Amino acid sequence: MGSMTNVSRRSIFKIVGGIGAGLALGCVPLRAAERSDKKGVVFAPNEYITVGPDGIVTVTITRSDMGQGIRTTIAMIVAEELDADWNHVRVTQAGAGSKRVNGGGTGGSSSTPGLYNNLRKIAAGSRQMLVEAAAKQWGVDPSTCHTAAGKVFNASGKAISYGELTAAASLMTPPADAKPKPRSEFKIIGKSKSRVDNLDVVTGRAIYGQDVHVDGMVFAVVSRRPAIGATLKSFDATATKKVSGVIDAIQIASGVAVIATNTYAATQGRDALKVEWDNGPNAELDSKQVSSKMRAALGEHTEMPAGAKVVEASYEFPFLAHATLEPMNAVADVKDGSCTVWTGSQAPTGAQQQVARQLGIEASNVTINVPLLGGGFGRRFMHDWVSEVVEISKAVKKPVKLLYTRDDDLRTDFYRPAGIRSFKGAISSSGEIVGWSGLAADSAGGRGGKGRVGKPAIPYDIPSATNQQAGAGIAVPTGAWRSVENSTNNPAYECFVDELAHAAGKDPVAFRQALISDPRLKHVLATVAEKAGWGKALPAGHGMGVAVFKGYGSYAAHVAEVSVKGDAIKVVRVVCAVDPGIAVNPRGVEAQIQGAIIDGVATALKVSITLEKGLAAETSYFDYNWARIGDAPKTEVHIVESGDNSPGGMGEVGYPSVIPAIANAIAAVTGKRARKFPIKVSELV
Amino acid sequence: MAVYKLSVNGVERSVDAVSDMPVLWVLRDMLGLTGSKYGCGVGSCGACAILVDGEEVLSCQMSVKDVGKKRITTVEGLSKNGTHPVQKAWLQHDVPQCGYCQSGQIIAAAALLKKHPRPTDAQIESALSSHICRCGTYQRIREAIHTAAGLAVGGK
Repeated sequence: MGSMTNVSRRSIFKIVGGIGAGLALGCVPLRAAERSDKKGVVFAPNEYITVGPDGIVTVTITRSDMGQGIRTTIAMIVAEELDADWNHVRVTQAGAGSKRVNGGGTGGSSSTPGLYNNLRKIAAGSRQMLVEAAAKQWGVDPSTCHTAAGKVFNASGKAISYGELTAAASLMTPPADAKPKPRSEFKIIGKSKSRVDNLDVVTGRAIYGQDVHVDGMVFAVVSRRPAIGATLKSFDATATKKVSGVIDAIQIASGVAVIATNTYAATQGRDALKVEWDNGPNAELDSKQVSSKMRAALGEHTEMPAGAKVVEASYEFPFLAHATLEPMNAVADVKDGSCTVWTGSQAPTGAQQQVARQLGIEASNVTINVPLLGGGFGRRFMHDWVSEVVEISKAVKKPVKLLYTRDDDLRTDFYRPAGIRSFKGAISSSGEIVGWSGLAADSAGGRGGKGRVGKPAIPYDIPSATNQQAGAGIAVPTGAWRSVENSTNNPAYECFVDELAHAAGKDPVAFRQALISDPRLKHVLATVAEKAGWGKALPAGHGMGVAVFKGYGSYAAHVAEVSVKGDAIKVVRVVCAVDPGIAVNPRGVEAQIQGAIIDGVATALKVSITLEKGLAAETSYFDYNWARIGDAPKTEVHIVESGDNSPGGMGEVGYPSVIPAIANAIAAVTGKRARKFPIKVSELV
Repeated sequence: MAVYKLSVNGVERSVDAVSDMPVLWVLRDMLGLTGSKYGCGVGSCGACAILVDGEEVLSCQMSVKDVGKKRITTVEGLSKNGTHPVQKAWLQHDVPQCGYCQSGQIIAAAALLKKHPRPTDAQIESALSSHICRCGTYQRIREAIHTAAGLAVGGK
């Protein structure tokens, strides 16, 4: 029973190769590759598209899907320009292998904007080859033919399906410069499509890294440091080895790996392990020290003009864990001179190079297979778990499945850095901003070094603004978290602008509009105010707050309605207007915005990582108590396309204005301001 | 170690396991049923939910020795091909994002609808309160459960 295999599952992992590692996605050439099989010729004009003799179009997905729906988005873009029949479109996932590559990483909201034009051109070229093949068969001019839903039609109404053209199209010369459709002819882009993975998800067939099965694999968990920077002194595995199912316990770079015939035995074996650590230089580090070190690093504000009304405020943000519901995990099979890894990675080529360096082998001998990712949010760039599983597989000479248990996952994260933003602003007698000084300090440990976070990107035209940044040099590993530096900067800017509006005695929406010149930002702000009913009468104890964000080529504005009763804050309703340029899949845009609102509710009101004795105190969702269904406000998403001809990013843009909209709404109810997140009524000032 | 005979998705399966092994790991590591997910192992996230005699149970919190003759249904056993009313509603509303929590949410919704065929929002929020969706699909979950309630009543 224990070694039961699942053939259909493994067939999903038929490895998709990769293009040469050095080949940027922007210059993937068209090529008329063809291969014969029993059923006929497959038309494979380029790395992204194949058309089978059965008419099935298979699109190779060169980005990782962590819930943002990129597999569907890419398939839609290709299907549009290919004029494919959407019902005949399938996807196959690229990882990092010897040929095709999931390169460049999936993050920074870059996938859709980065791939859009190139994919359209490539698909349009492929369509043209099919048209030329059909025209040749008919002996007509290709310009008299057209395509729709997987068929080429000629002027007299005859049709040939793409599946019937695969052999002939493979002999056509790829066009040098195919022309994508004008937007007015779109049939698929801009029309909501269901996710290509949905049926697999709801039936439990979808395969995540944690679900990968490799014959002969063993299971591992790692006993980890009790404080950041601690080093292992010794361990005693006598009791561990008596646990039924435990195979071995070995020292690795990050601790002691317990290897067993199943996950439960591995965790039981870890519980029985005796490990001695030198707790190291951070053994007494706690959140209070982090806070005071950041405050000390802030520096001095610039002078405010004499005679103006001066407003001062600071906002403190905690470390945040990514807490993807699927914790970090991987299967690795290290063989002599090669290695295969299955893992949810946001940057498989990065993982490939890391593994190659670790094992001292060529990257071309390392294959990274990418199943679905059970959430990402920036965590799956780091590949610390890949190092571990490769180290363990190499040692035990077997395929190994490594699991970060939830406590491991929360305590071994590369957190969103903690940070403090401090402001001084000056308002003239006519209510104009005449001074703005911003100071930013971040915990700035690990890879989130000084300068990474805290770049001024105020969405407003404030000529007097100065912003400075500093790092506090705290040794807590940090990394990218949804919207990266904007996750702290924009909430701070938008809370402070709200305080300035209040000091100026002006309406927060009108005050902002007067500071904005960008028409797209003005438009989302006006739209959200209208849709939310800004200014309307609300029940007692309710208030509305507004905030905006621009970035990643997109624009967002949120209005939150909250109620405050005693110590209880409830986000009742959140309205968002978002301008993504082009919404390739509107339902996908809506999902991203709804999800970002929940992230905003969770991080405005509920979660933080607190350090105690050099380690995160939180170990599960009981204490890292993410927003649950009862916390979820009613949401409304209004997509406004203000005429831009390329799509902006959508993963990050929905988050940075949620927290300030909530905080500003709380201020509207209570007259008090948040200085620290997550917000507690008792800490409002 | 002992041999346990379990009824899983209508099929009798036997496993050789330690008595305190959580059902989650029996399903995932021994029976190859990976639809039920590990999210926390301590009952804080709901990703591992299964039906035991029709009631929702967090499978990380139930030992294999305690199953006895009770019938286990996992997300794989809800229907042959996504045709359970809850699955149909989930598809209709495009509920999943990353999808990792959804088998647990679907199981919870199926158990809820057995008890309350026309649940209120408050009943939904209470029944699904032990479940985390880290992508934030809650609004679509609520809508899909109302749709599923209609499908279950109208379609059977």
